[in-house]
Amino acid sequence: MSTLRVDWPVCQARGLCHELLPEIIELDEWGYPLVNGEVTDELLADARAAVRACPRLALRLVG
Amino acid sequence: MTTRTPSPVPMRDDVHVHPGPALLSGLAGGPSLTAHRSQYGALPRLDLPALMDLARAAGLRGRGGAGFPFAIKLSTVAEGKRRPVVVVNLSEGEPASSKDSALAQARPHLILDGAVVAAVALGARDVYVVLPGDRPLAAQRMTKAMAERKDPVRLHRSIADSRFVAGQARAVIELLSGRPNLPATTWVPDAVSGLDGRPTLLSNAETWAHVGYLALRGEAAYRSNGTPDEPGTTLMTITAPGMVPQVREVAYGTRLRDVLPSSLHGAPALVGGFHGSWATWPTLASAKVSVGGFRSLGLALGAGIIHLPGRDACPLEFTSRVVDYLADQSAKRCGPCLNGLPALADAVRGLLVGSGRQARIEVLAGMVERRGACAHPDGTVRLVRSLFTMLPEEVAAHATGGCMHRPLRVAS
Repeated sequence: MSTLRVDWPVCQARGLCHELLPEIIELDEWGYPLVNGEVTDELLADARAAVRACPRLALRLVG
Repeated sequence: MTTRTPSPVPMRDDVHVHPGPALLSGLAGGPSLTAHRSQYGALPRLDLPALMDLARAAGLRGRGGAGFPFAIKLSTVAEGKRRPVVVVNLSEGEPASSKDSALAQARPHLILDGAVVAAVALGARDVYVVLPGDRPLAAQRMTKAMAERKDPVRLHRSIADSRFVAGQARAVIELLSGRPNLPATTWVPDAVSGLDGRPTLLSNAETWAHVGYLALRGEAAYRSNGTPDEPGTTLMTITAPGMVPQVREVAYGTRLRDVLPSSLHGAPALVGGFHGSWATWPTLASAKVSVGGFRSLGLALGAGIIHLPGRDACPLEFTSRVVDYLADQSAKRCGPCLNGLPALADAVRGLLVGSGRQARIEVLAGMVERRGACAHPDGTVRLVRSLFTMLPEEVAAHATGGCMHRPLRVAS
């Protein structure tokens, strides 16, 4: 199973990842992603879409 | 220009270095290369298996705070396909620590011998020495020592920024890479891919001095101090208001109370520096200097930092000043740290006047932990949490508008 990792110094709280993957990405009170849990097979396509859509290229699928 | 929040423990490099059993032996000879060679002899050439055996037999752990086994790091670096590089991290951004500064001033060639012996064993050609930007005595002495030497590897010198997080391992590699001296996200360990993508053996100055001592004196001498389970010594920095920082070399297994000035016995202390934990006097009095022993007391020996604010100092008030300082020292690049540490600082200030809530602090802690390029937010949270776990009666006194260190006052 894969995990989503945030490149924190690069992330600027644009929030697209939450729009595309609300199942495991919430936003904190400042708008930065809170990743809850691993990327299951069912979520893999959406997770890849979130990685591609990040305007800051701050999200990566690892493992 | 904005005013920076001052550190509650001043950054100083006028240090009182006490003579010690290993690294800090023979101080009277001075720090010159001539004195060093007459004390220790020539640096032997070790091959990689010999160095690995020494590090393993000595049970050597990194002394930057994380305590990672040196032999494992060394073997990861050695397994890389590209030629490795060696980095000596002397940046010591923690104001309450002065041990690397003390070593640089008193034992610079022990540090350099450690780095050089490892570089030669690994086939590295370059050793990068990163000096502190805010400890001029240490930086000057180290620079002088580097100029005295003739080594089979190249020694390079850089100066770190004056910032708490500048000494973080990745921040040091960023500096050496020509980028801002700030933490960056680590996708693979530096030992696998660090400076220019090369396997990078980065350790702090004390770790290198132990490597040097091991190479020069051998395993038996190293093991003659400490306990069978935890051989050797560790450097500790003891600070208190109005006292010159004391650096002591302590054999593992020593009673902590024997290391602390007796005039300061009886009061709580901050253990592990600004990213550490509070400990009550009974806890301190029962502790032995040991990685495992500290862990069993809910503390971390880390880089061996003990700050004693004294009986009259309020630990909450002191913590509040530390968190204000740490929030300001953030690189301010990771959103959770940039936003969360000032919010945490506000919440801790609230605790002081009885308006802060532990629940809010827990929410903020959860929002900053493990959500940054480095462990700065995690360490700040550790310190704040330790108020609740170690000093609950102090927190309770403030909740009702009081303070155990001042006459009862009415909350405003």
